[in-house]
Amino acid sequence: MSVIPTDIPLQASARPWSRLAGAALLALVLGFALLAPLVFPADPLRQSLRHILAAPDAASPLGYDHLGRSLTARLAAALRLSLAIAAAAVASAALLGVAAGVLAAWRGGWVDRAVSLIADAFLALPGLLLVLIVSAIVPVTPMAFWIGLTLVLWIEYFRLTRATVSRLMAAPAIEASRLLGFGPLYVFRRHLWPELAPVLLTLGAFGAATAIMMIAALGFVSVGMRPPTPELGLMMVELLPYYREAPMALLVPVLATFLTLLGLNLVAGGRRT
Amino acid sequence: MSDLLKATAVSVRAGLSQLVEPVSLTLAAGRPVTILGETGSGKSLLAQAIIGTLPAGLRAGGQVDVEGCSLDLAHPRALRDLWGRVIAVLPQEPWLSLDPLMRARAQVAEGHALVRGLNRAEAGQAADRDLAGLGLAEASASRPDQLSGGMAQRLALAAARAGGARIVVADEPTKGLDIARRDDVIALLMREVVQGGALLTITHDLTLARRMGGELIVMLKGRVIERGPADQVLSQPRHDYTRRLVAADPASWPRRVPRQPVGKPVLRAEGLSVRRGGRRLFRDLGLDLHPGQIIGIEGPSGCGKSTLGDVLLGLCRPEQGKVIRGEGIAARRFQKLYQDPPSAFPRHLPLGRALEDLVRLHGLDRGRIGGLMARLRLDPVLLGRRPDAVSGGELQRLALLRLLLLDPVFLFADEPTSRLDLITQAEVTELLVETARETGMALLIVSHDPDLLAGAADRVIRLGDHEGSPTGADLVRDPAAQTGYRPADKPGFGTRVAAEVSGA
Repeated sequence: MSVIPTDIPLQASARPWSRLAGAALLALVLGFALLAPLVFPADPLRQSLRHILAAPDAASPLGYDHLGRSLTARLAAALRLSLAIAAAAVASAALLGVAAGVLAAWRGGWVDRAVSLIADAFLALPGLLLVLIVSAIVPVTPMAFWIGLTLVLWIEYFRLTRATVSRLMAAPAIEASRLLGFGPLYVFRRHLWPELAPVLLTLGAFGAATAIMMIAALGFVSVGMRPPTPELGLMMVELLPYYREAPMALLVPVLATFLTLLGLNLVAGGRRT
Repeated sequence: MSDLLKATAVSVRAGLSQLVEPVSLTLAAGRPVTILGETGSGKSLLAQAIIGTLPAGLRAGGQVDVEGCSLDLAHPRALRDLWGRVIAVLPQEPWLSLDPLMRARAQVAEGHALVRGLNRAEAGQAADRDLAGLGLAEASASRPDQLSGGMAQRLALAAARAGGARIVVADEPTKGLDIARRDDVIALLMREVVQGGALLTITHDLTLARRMGGELIVMLKGRVIERGPADQVLSQPRHDYTRRLVAADPASWPRRVPRQPVGKPVLRAEGLSVRRGGRRLFRDLGLDLHPGQIIGIEGPSGCGKSTLGDVLLGLCRPEQGKVIRGEGIAARRFQKLYQDPPSAFPRHLPLGRALEDLVRLHGLDRGRIGGLMARLRLDPVLLGRRPDAVSGGELQRLALLRLLLLDPVFLFADEPTSRLDLITQAEVTELLVETARETGMALLIVSHDPDLLAGAADRVIRLGDHEGSPTGADLVRDPAAQTGYRPADKPGFGTRVAAEVSGA
């Protein structure tokens, strides 16, 4: 026997707390990355033999690494680098993906097929490999990461935008607006953007998490950032041999990466119903 | 006549609010009971309470006596034993509730085998008998997608009834059907009654209620406002709402005197042929639309009614032929009114903003909005709301207002009232007709209801039956000549609606 639908709305359960917690974690990480250089000024590259694997002190509350460099300064620099690359990659991927998605869904036909084909081709390449290929071509590493990650991340934006926009284009609202004389910009602003924006935020948080993870992963296998640049994955692999003598020092980049990814995923996941 | 089911003081509440006030009814063999009401009147909830399928969060009260036992509706689980064996539900849109991959015979045999507990061979024979009884013997090896809509509906009934149920509950069985299909469904349901079953029909369709006969219960806002023998309630309604409802039925609208076309046509179509999905919908169709003229388009679903309008508006291309617009008329003065009002507005935008955007885009006179709001009897409060917070009737009038700001010369109204209640339908149609007459706007109105078109249009074009007729369109029909001119069949009612609208 089928259940007969009614017009009575049933309450969907939301999880606002997880978004709040995620945002708080991100604020914490970002605050540390930006404020640490002001509160504990130190050059992240300056080595000091007297401080090799030294315990935390007033100048560096997170201690020192195997070359006597301030871990506070290095962690802050590494977070700034990762977050900046991730933010830039997410922004450009969103721009590219949304533009391509709207174009494909709106024009349809061969434009749609061509753009979808390109997206599928990119999808066939593993993400890490794509970033590696780009970094072999582009000499500056942060720039290579930015371009590579953009190429990895834009596909999700494209597919989501294309699906959403095709659905909206089929509904009468846009046809009505066009008949009333409104142009494409208005249609984008009033019809498409309000539907896309909330999903893009979720996708952005997931995308940033992916980017940070990829940068760290490539650093960890020594094919990403070059030493002595402070970078989360590099820091982990550099401190790994000293895990017996200085376990806390190794824990610092690991914990920072974990908290950042947790924060991003909480922000993204909180939107799902 | 034996009573098959007796429901006493059935009520529905959500938390503290009472959605349906206590109602008692008796279903007897051979006498149909029909619950008539508009959307939100609680008619579906009442039926769901009786069969025990209320959605979570709603609580039923009252008692049902069936097959010698008494069941408390507050504990609907006990009712579950009756499903299939005693009570069968004919679902809305049955073709969606059939298993798309199972052959007709198996769908019915399943009920015999699993609900009644027959063995496979007996179940198969019983299914054959059921199908033969409904004229489906030929189709017993077909899948649902190979059946016509009417056959699918009969199959769904056979499957629902396979458990041996003699009480059938039909929820909006004619929703979204065209006239021919509606008649099939009515015949199908009447068959059940004649064979000694009990039938509870829930509907907003006045014609269905009239044709079913038996007892009619009219509901409004969760209360029964009138009940009695159907013909008596419908011919001599006592409650004001019932009276308005009967008056709003297109069948009782006064027939208009068709207006002769005057002036130069604003839109002319020549030799149109249209193909959709490899099938020719119509060909060689010519049409002139003069200012103030109202043309109706009628035909079964899928015959290309909407496509014709879209072709005239330039929204899709004809295979052959051309559409010529009057010279020097701005493109924005050719407009369309949609079937589903909420889907014609940006979902996230307050309605006032949408109008403001339009005023700004074309540099229109903002002051006209107030006048039109009053003219269309719309409350200015609505402008602050989003489309989903406004009723369908109000939203359709707002859509009309939005179009009127542009002084349209041609309006294509694509089933503009099919999602609205009867009374609202009468109001909106009347408004459209008046607007066409007053502003000289040519109106092309699509409907699946011939009565509505006969009451509203100067001329009706019948599209249809692409296999039967050579052009696929039976052109130029005078509604009065076709349906028999009925100047004052039901005096008072139709004119009353008109008077209400123009008096405001």
